[in-house]
Amino acid sequence: MLSIKNLQVSVEDKPILKGLNLEVKPGEIHAIMGPNGSGKSTLAHVLSGREGYSVNGGSAEYKGLNLLKMAPEIRAREGMFLAFQYPIEIPGVNNTSFLKKALNEIRKHRGEEELDAIDFLGLIRKQMKLVEMKEDLLKRPVNQGFSGGEKKRNEILQMAVLNPTLAILDETDSGLDIDALRIVAGGVNKLRSADNAFVVITHYQRLLDYIVPDFVHVLSDGQIIKSGTKELAMELEERGYDWLIKEAESKA
Amino acid sequence: MAQLTNNFSDWVKQQVDTDSTFAFSEAVRSPSLSRLAEGVFPTRKDEEWKYTPLGVMLEASPDRAVTGALDIQFVENLKQAMPTAHTIVFMDGNFSQEYSDKLADLETSGVKISPLSKLEGAALQLAEKTILEAALTDDNIFQHIALGLSQNGLFIEVDKKVECPTPLHIIHISSANGATAFTNPINITRLAENSHLKIVEQFASLGDAAVITVPASYVQIEAGAGLDYYRIGIENGSTNHVCNTAVKVSASATFKSHQYLLGSNLSRSNLEVSFTGPGAEAVLRGVYLGDDKQHLDVRTYLDHAHPHCNSDQHFRGILNGQSRGVFNGLVLVREHAQKTDAQQSNKNLLLSRDARVDTKPQLEIFADDVKCAHGATVGELDTDALFYLQSRGIGKKEAVLMLTRAFAAEVTQEIDIESLQIYVQSKIAAALDEIVTPNV
Repeated sequence: MLSIKNLQVSVEDKPILKGLNLEVKPGEIHAIMGPNGSGKSTLAHVLSGREGYSVNGGSAEYKGLNLLKMAPEIRAREGMFLAFQYPIEIPGVNNTSFLKKALNEIRKHRGEEELDAIDFLGLIRKQMKLVEMKEDLLKRPVNQGFSGGEKKRNEILQMAVLNPTLAILDETDSGLDIDALRIVAGGVNKLRSADNAFVVITHYQRLLDYIVPDFVHVLSDGQIIKSGTKELAMELEERGYDWLIKEAESKA
Repeated sequence: MAQLTNNFSDWVKQQVDTDSTFAFSEAVRSPSLSRLAEGVFPTRKDEEWKYTPLGVMLEASPDRAVTGALDIQFVENLKQAMPTAHTIVFMDGNFSQEYSDKLADLETSGVKISPLSKLEGAALQLAEKTILEAALTDDNIFQHIALGLSQNGLFIEVDKKVECPTPLHIIHISSANGATAFTNPINITRLAENSHLKIVEQFASLGDAAVITVPASYVQIEAGAGLDYYRIGIENGSTNHVCNTAVKVSASATFKSHQYLLGSNLSRSNLEVSFTGPGAEAVLRGVYLGDDKQHLDVRTYLDHAHPHCNSDQHFRGILNGQSRGVFNGLVLVREHAQKTDAQQSNKNLLLSRDARVDTKPQLEIFADDVKCAHGATVGELDTDALFYLQSRGIGKKEAVLMLTRAFAAEVTQEIDIESLQIYVQSKIAAALDEIVTPNV
């Protein structure tokens, strides 16, 4: 589904990703862990098409398409979703009409009929239960005045409504208390299926207690220095990142 | 027979000497006439006019607008903004009985409306009193053109304690084609104690003539009364529109103003509000939306001369192409105006590199126990918000439209006449749809 080969990316001439490889297949959950500044968020942003990053080498294919040449909205319409680390507040844009517009753009792209207001409301009410979100947040402008936890739940709600095939969660656990974390993770677990995949980017192991990954990758200085299963995450929790980074340096 | 004149100044001078019938008495007109006889127009060297390009307007020698072809559908479309309102239509400056609507039971309900051309006796005296009381502090020549050469317009009088549930919808239509035409409608509104009224005044072009529109409004709101005054300019791109509005707000009275500058080559609005008693309130809102070489200019002057008065101003500009916006707002808090609460905010969104805005919010405070704040911002579209929308599948053009519409909606959502809110928002949406290109 997602195939990243030797990806090299810089920001303002500073290399951030230095030859990253990653293969994600349908039905899989991949966790990407790593210390601050290792390139985790850059990876999420490059994959979702944010401006300001230069790709200097390598490739990223999604469903066989050259991801790096696609506009952000096309990536979304093809089934990609980024849950933002810091969801953006958009004054004046109503949360419900925004999400309805987004869903219908995606449905149009898939050749499906657009949902009318009533069908959409039915869908969104159902998915709101998944993230235990209060209904009045739907009437407010996108993320405006939402608490940190409400913003993250709103991200998961959007994901549930848009039903992506590949979701990238960028530090969705940051700033969440344990209850919110459980709700957000619960939402992800209910959405996982044999047809979709998740890339969960996180600094801490605790999210992975709730979203159990099939693979864990450690990103350091722009490269994946170790891959393993969920046991690797537990080992990282115990021992930190330093031993791995030293091990990788001594190999190099 | 009038001689041909070479420019607007000469034409104005010539009008002073014509033997036409004017709306007001010599006593009211004469200060204006002497100003017109001097024929001195502001230039870019005048501080208050340095941003306003009057050139094209002043080079023209217009004539009084004459009615061109009529189009009933055009009038009906304009009425859609206020389908249930009492509608008063002016065609090229002249009151049109034919197109006006639902005026029959107004007078029995305590709201008197009279075209200025029919004004006489006590009503004329009261109208003139309102003009003299409202006197503008900005002694610009355009208010003298409006007043000195006035032939038509409307006098609205609301009796004590009358609550007029249905708004008045005043529609000014320019139907002229071809040569430059001139109109100067005057609107005089007087609300007696504890009365309430909503007015929607709309300016639109049916013809393609470059019209010089020089309206003036004089408003007196007596104690405990309340006026909501909406003003919507959607004239054609050749029109030059310079208007003056003077409002007196008495003790415990309220004035709410919304201005939407959505058309014209040049549109300049000068709005002056003075509190003449304690406990009064003014809420001023506005959006100016420009493209190409349009010049949109909003001036406000708020005189806090009495204690315990509140004023709250919020104006937003969206500018594309080489258009230019100006916001110049002065809040004056006089020495005895303690417990004043004055807020003023101006926010601007520039959609192109060549668009420009000059914003000048000003506070002059002479009282010491007041709460005043003002602020202005000029910015571009929030690229983070744009990316957020795109990352959810919304195309770039649509995302830009959503954000710009939302920017204006922060003001338009306060329009509390539902049909009008829908109308203004749809006009803004349509204009944005035209100016936002797919590859912004």
